[in-house]
Amino acid sequence: MTSTDMPLAMAGPEAGRRISTRIWQTAFASVEFRIGLAVFVLLLLAALLYPELSGIDPTKMNIRAKLTPPLFMGEGWDWAHPLGTDQLGRDMLSRALVGLRYSLLIGVSTTVLMLLAGAMIGLFAGYFGGRTDTVLMRLTDAQLSVPMIILAITILGVSRPTIPSIILVLGLAGWPVYARVMRSTVMAERKKEYVRGAMVLGATDLRIMFTLLLPLVLPPMAFVAVLDIARMMIFESVLGFLGLGVQPPTPTFGNVIADGRKYLMNAWWIATMPGVFLVLTLTSINLMGAALERARNAIYGGA
Amino acid sequence: MALDTTGATETLLSVRGLGVAAGDKPILTDISFDLAPCSILSVIGESGSGKTVLARALASWLSAPLRVTGGEIRFRGRDLVADPGHARSLAGREIAYVGGNPAGALDPTMTVGAQLVEKLRAVRPDIPAAEARAKAIRLLEAVHIPSAARRFHEYPFQYSGGMMQRAMIVDALISDPALLIADNITQPLDVTVAAQILKLMRELNHDFSTAILFICSSLPVACDASDEVMVLHEGRVVERQTPAALVARPGHSYTRELIAELPTLWQGGETGAGREIDRNRRAIMSVRGLAKAYEVRARGQAGVSRVQAVRNVDFDVFPGDNFGVVGESGCGKSSLMRLLTGLERPDAGSVFFEGENVAAASPKRLRALRRKFQLVLQDPYGCLPPQSPIGAILEEPLKIHRIGSAAERRDRARAVMAEVGLSDSLYRALPTGLSAGQRQRLNVARAMILEPRLLIMDETLSALDQTEQGKLLDLFDKLQAQHGFTYIFISHDLTMVRQVCSRIAVMYLGETVEVAPNERLFFDPGHPYSRALLSAAPTLEERRYRPEDCLLEGEPPSPIDLPPGCAFASRCPQAFDRCRAENPALRARGDHALAACFLNPDPDIALHETATETPHA
Repeated sequence: MTSTDMPLAMAGPEAGRRISTRIWQTAFASVEFRIGLAVFVLLLLAALLYPELSGIDPTKMNIRAKLTPPLFMGEGWDWAHPLGTDQLGRDMLSRALVGLRYSLLIGVSTTVLMLLAGAMIGLFAGYFGGRTDTVLMRLTDAQLSVPMIILAITILGVSRPTIPSIILVLGLAGWPVYARVMRSTVMAERKKEYVRGAMVLGATDLRIMFTLLLPLVLPPMAFVAVLDIARMMIFESVLGFLGLGVQPPTPTFGNVIADGRKYLMNAWWIATMPGVFLVLTLTSINLMGAALERARNAIYGGA
Repeated sequence: MALDTTGATETLLSVRGLGVAAGDKPILTDISFDLAPCSILSVIGESGSGKTVLARALASWLSAPLRVTGGEIRFRGRDLVADPGHARSLAGREIAYVGGNPAGALDPTMTVGAQLVEKLRAVRPDIPAAEARAKAIRLLEAVHIPSAARRFHEYPFQYSGGMMQRAMIVDALISDPALLIADNITQPLDVTVAAQILKLMRELNHDFSTAILFICSSLPVACDASDEVMVLHEGRVVERQTPAALVARPGHSYTRELIAELPTLWQGGETGAGREIDRNRRAIMSVRGLAKAYEVRARGQAGVSRVQAVRNVDFDVFPGDNFGVVGESGCGKSSLMRLLTGLERPDAGSVFFEGENVAAASPKRLRALRRKFQLVLQDPYGCLPPQSPIGAILEEPLKIHRIGSAAERRDRARAVMAEVGLSDSLYRALPTGLSAGQRQRLNVARAMILEPRLLIMDETLSALDQTEQGKLLDLFDKLQAQHGFTYIFISHDLTMVRQVCSRIAVMYLGETVEVAPNERLFFDPGHPYSRALLSAAPTLEERRYRPEDCLLEGEPPSPIDLPPGCAFASRCPQAFDRCRAENPALRARGDHALAACFLNPDPDIALHETATETPHA
């Protein structure tokens, strides 16, 4: 008994603040979170501002300066093109940053879309069970059985591959996994005593689902979803590679890599630069996500 | 490796100045005691006093951050602390350990017999398989498992809780240990089954001359079970005496306190019998012929079988009453709770709350009714939303019923926190750091914030230790005086019910077999099962009912294939032919006491149906 009272006494001064505030503060106090945040903000600002501020048009060709290597790498590098140029003399830095814009937009919104769709379907299926569960889960199975590439080729081949349609296709392909995970967690949680307690208090089903269960099971899933942002950005590259991604001349990571493939032997940097940015972005997001998750666990674990 | 053999013949285990710490925090300090071969020593203490840590230290089963900081444990003269290799070779072979969670300790994918044989051959590889099997069956018989040879091939899930605990004892004894450490083995069991296990421990101690270190948290059980009792308090041994001497002349203030706080069944003291209740008014809750069956898929065969969880339940709860429902686990108490609160619909019968049938109310009406009756659940850890701050937990019911503005709700929550004795600084804290007692206070606060008329307590106190139970009972009293609540206590703890309840219903296999006022139930029970329960209740008092007279060996029949007739007939020493053919209904015995037994004289006004035959007296 005395041992269980102790952490409480220690938590005294902490206890006055709101839980969410405490989680953010704990996360922010960690070095990983700060590094992640700094890198992410830097990349975001660069992506948003650099192409405009520097006045370098990512689509402007300059054949005379084609295949300039990045700084200090090989012969003929130039301060004007810190990351070199591609086969048409376009500036790689501004191309990569503009590509980052689109890739990030596609990655994040796709992930949010499939997380939301999956979570909702899983929540209803898991909470109500029975017939609702059967119908929703068979729907999920049907969706799972269609290979993503076929789906993408069909939809994007028929309509024009615009950014919203790409987001829709990728989101549609990704949600079943989330629905499955959500369903099984909700099924486990809804049998617990506190859910019964809320029922006895007179809470409606929707109230229990959205105010009690969702806040509990969504954060761990959102943490997994952060990894999916990366996956989706790469999938967009895959679509770009097939020619079903964002159409040239708009640069995205996908079509930059696809272009660079032909010059891998004599101009490795074209295909490499998007990858470097991808790694930086994802590492920073993961660092922040991991720090948040740790803070969350620490606070809810009783620290 | 000098063997210190002096004195080894007299003491089996000798602990000197043993200290165990978790990190820097000492758990056990300077523990010293001796254990002679073939004796039973009980170790008691409140939760957190280091009992289990002591047991694990002796069984060489400490895991980080726990570590031995000093002292020695001499087993047959050899120090186990200094020689961990030797200690490991003894564990499971010479020193056996039985824990309090048999269901978790048995592998669900192997038959019980295979596990026993595997255990034996792991520590004694030289024993051939056939011999090992014969030994396991012999021991299963020794612990009174019926048809042991057949049960040997069954899986743990086919065993009941009591039988699993027996199987675990066999698992410990199969290697012929010299010392058996029994850590809280009766805690999860029902009183009648626990009493049988205690009797068994005594027999085994006698037959196999195994020394037993019996660890438990209940003083009556410890005194019942052992030759000597050692009291552990805050990681120190404060006292060691024979049970009789301990009770008569406790030497340490903690022991005195423990004995003084011990609730009694018959010797007077505080009881719930004193209150004056007008039982001619309309009942606040009245239950009539309630029944609920669950369908379960039969194991290994097609089709479903029906488990009769609740049947023939009748009782009335009057305003201001403290109504108790007692019975062993599996008797349908929790199913009854779900029916009373409208969480599930009964198959038959009705639950009237202030004249309105809860069992037939529409979902919407039920939600509205729930403002008036609330439930406090059993598990203090599971029943609070794990990630909401305490203030939000308390405001939730108000939000659900759309009461007050945000500011009013906050004030109300703080007021209720003050009322149940939770400090105001906890408002934004998570329940994670709360002790079990504080959690139950929070639960009560959450239930009473809606100002209900009836509070149903489902085993609310069973997870708490004695001191904390007492404090909460005082709190319930105070709240009742202030708000005029009516309580229904669902419990397996007779002493608690004796202390607080004014009227008590006894349940057995889903049925109410007796409903009687407090005094009447404890001094003149009208059903043999009530007597059996009373005989098995752990108490230091002189018993009014001896277990030998009241209960036959065995466990309750399965609720799947209920025998015709009285469900208790198979364990009732007074059962006769009619009991096995016909199920007795509740009959009035005068003064608001009812019992369902043919042994009671036929009253003039029966509650349901007047029996046509003359009952055997």
